[in-house]
Amino acid sequence: MALALGRAIQEGRNLLEPEAYELLASYGVSVPSHRLVSSAEEAEAAATEIGYPVVTKIVSPDILHKTEAGGVLLNLNDAASVKAAYGQITEHARQGKAAVRGVLISRMAPPGTEVIVGLTQDLQFGPVVMFGLGGIFVEVYQDASFRLIPLAERDAAAMIHEIKAFPLLQGVRGKKPADLEALTHLLLKVSQIAQENPEISEMDLNPVLVYEKGLSVVDARVLLHQRAPTA
Amino acid sequence: MPPPFPSFKSKEALQVLFRPSSVAVIGASTAPEKLGYQIFKNLLDAGFPGKVHPINPKAPEILGCPCYSNIDAVPDQVDLAVIIIPAPLVADTIRRCGSRGVKGTIVISGGFSETGPEGEVLQEQLVQAAQESKVAVIGPNCQGVNNPHHPLCASWPLLTRRGRVAVISQSGTVGAALMDWASQEELGVSTFVSLGNRADVDEADLIHYFAQDPNTETIAIYMEGVKAAPKFLEAVRQCQKPLVILKAGRTPKGRKAAESHTRSLAGRDEVYEGVFRQFSIHRANDLEQLYDFSKALSYLPRLKGPRLLIITSSGGSAILATDVAEMTGLDVASLPDQVAQRLREVLPKHCIVGNPLDLTGDATAQMYRQVVEAAASHFDAIALIFGDPIPGASEVVGGDPLQLVIYLGGAEVERQERLLFHRKGIPVFPTPERGIQALSHLL
Repeated sequence: MALALGRAIQEGRNLLEPEAYELLASYGVSVPSHRLVSSAEEAEAAATEIGYPVVTKIVSPDILHKTEAGGVLLNLNDAASVKAAYGQITEHARQGKAAVRGVLISRMAPPGTEVIVGLTQDLQFGPVVMFGLGGIFVEVYQDASFRLIPLAERDAAAMIHEIKAFPLLQGVRGKKPADLEALTHLLLKVSQIAQENPEISEMDLNPVLVYEKGLSVVDARVLLHQRAPTA
Repeated sequence: MPPPFPSFKSKEALQVLFRPSSVAVIGASTAPEKLGYQIFKNLLDAGFPGKVHPINPKAPEILGCPCYSNIDAVPDQVDLAVIIIPAPLVADTIRRCGSRGVKGTIVISGGFSETGPEGEVLQEQLVQAAQESKVAVIGPNCQGVNNPHHPLCASWPLLTRRGRVAVISQSGTVGAALMDWASQEELGVSTFVSLGNRADVDEADLIHYFAQDPNTETIAIYMEGVKAAPKFLEAVRQCQKPLVILKAGRTPKGRKAAESHTRSLAGRDEVYEGVFRQFSIHRANDLEQLYDFSKALSYLPRLKGPRLLIITSSGGSAILATDVAEMTGLDVASLPDQVAQRLREVLPKHCIVGNPLDLTGDATAQMYRQVVEAAASHFDAIALIFGDPIPGASEVVGGDPLQLVIYLGGAEVERQERLLFHRKGIPVFPTPERGIQALSHLL
C-alpha cells in the first residue's frame, strides 16, 4: 500500500493533496513538481526551486473544496506574490477555523485540454471510473462515460471515444489533437489504483490537462471509505 | 477479488417451472372473469401434456376437472403449483407444497413488498418458506410463465406460438405485449417469464438458465433495475447468447415509479449505459427496439463488416434508411463501377443505379434478385426495402451476404408476404428506421 494511504487511514481522514499526488506518482501518473511548505520564506524558496510561474494551494484535512474556500491562487510569477499568497490563503483558512497542514507550491501547468477523470461508488455496481471533458461538459451537459473496474484497455479507449465532446479531443480550429494514448493509460491507472486499494471510495482528478504529448493531473482529491476510528 | 454472490439456481431447480410433468392451480376459479379461471383454462387450451389439477375448496369441478380442497388431497405427484390466493395465505401454502413434494411455484398473487411495510413482511415470510421447503418461486406479483415449446401456458393471454427469443420481464404486460407481437408475426417466443417482485428467482438465474436452453437464441429482458449486481454480472459474463435489455427508470421520476412498481432500485442510468457497453449487452431504448433487436439477433447472422447496400422501390424509405445507417456505424458504400455498369444494362432505364439503388415504384421481386446477385460479393449486408405491394418478395431473398428485409406500404400483399418470410425464418421489419437500427446491432 502507498505510504500516504497508510498515514491517512491511521489518522481516519481523507488524503491531503500532496498525498494524493504521492499516490498517483507511485503508479507512474505524471503530476506537477510540488513542495509542501509551512512558512512564507519556505514558500518563496520552493517557488525558486520549482521555477515560476507557480500555484499555491491550501493543504487542510478540513477543506474539501479549496477554490471555494479561497485556498487557491494561480499563476504567481515572482517571490513577492508567492509570499503574499501564502499569507492570504493561510489567513482565509484560519478564519474558516480549518486546521492548516501547510501550503502546496506547485508548478503552474501550461494550458491543455481539460478533462475530468474520477472514481465513484455506484449503489448497485460498486466502484466505477468516470471520464468527461472539464468545464461545462460534465456539469451542464452531463456528457460523461462510466465503466466498472477493472477496466480493460478497450473499455478505457471506448470511454474516451463515446462522449459527445470527443471531437474536441481530436483537435478543432487549429488545436492539436490530445494525447489519447496517455489518457487511456491514465484511466487504466485509476482503475488499477482503485482495485489495489479498496480503501479508496472516490477519486476526483479535476482537471487533468491533456497535451499533444502527455498530460498532467493538476488537482487531485482522494477520499477513503469512512471507518470507525481504531482504538 | 470479486465480491461474493449467491449461486445460480440449478437447471434442475428451474426446469420444473418451465417443463413440469404435472401442475396444480391453487386458487383455480369457476368464475370466467377471475385470473384463477383464465390461467387454468389457458393451461388446458394450450395443450399442457400432463395432468392439471384445480384446487379450490368450494368447487366440485372446474372445466370438467375434479377439484381438490387443498394440495394434500391431490392423489398424484405434482411438480409445479401456480398460486393465485390472497397474499397472507401464500407462505403457508408454499410450505404445504414443499412437504407434498412440489418443487416449484409461480405466485401470481399481489399484495407483497410492492404494497408497503405489511406486504414486505409477507414477502419475507414467503422467501423463508421457499428456502426452508426448497421450493423455487417465481413472483410474487407476476403474470406467470408461458413455455410454448412444452407447452405450458401458466399465464395470460393464451399464446402458443413457438419461437427463439426468451422474454424475461419485470412487467407482465410489457413481456406479454412482446409475446403477442411475436405471435401475430408467426415468430413466437421460446419462453415468457414474468418476474414480478423477484422474491426468489431473479433475472440472473434466468439468464443463466436460458443461456443453456436449446430453444433460446436470444434473451430479451425488460428490467427496472438489477436485483443483485455481482450475480447479474456473473450471469452476463457466462452467457454466450445475445442479451437485449430494455432498462426503464432513466429519469428521476421514472426511478421513483420503478420503486413503487416492483420495489426496484433503478440506479444511475449513465452507469447502466457503461455496464451495458462494457459487457456487450444490446441496449434497447424502447419496447419496439427490444422486440426488433431480439428478432434480428435470433434470425440473422452477425455482420462481418459495415458495408451496406440499400435496394428499394421507395426513394423516401431509402433516405430514411441511409440516415439511420450512417448514424449507427454502418457504411452505405458506393456501388463499384463495374457492378453499376452491369446493372444499367439489365435494369429498366428509369432505375436509379447507386447506393441506395432505387428500382422505383414498378419494381418487381425479380429485379431485387438481379441486383443482389450482381452486388453480393461487394457488401457485408443488403437491405431490401419493399415499399409497395410487391408479390413474390419472399421467394427472392436468401443466401449471402446477410439480407435484411423491410416491407412497408404494401397493404394486403405485404401482410401475406411477411408471413411467408417469417415461415421461412426470415425476419421482416416494418419501417426503414427500425430495420436498419436492428441491423446495426448485428455489427
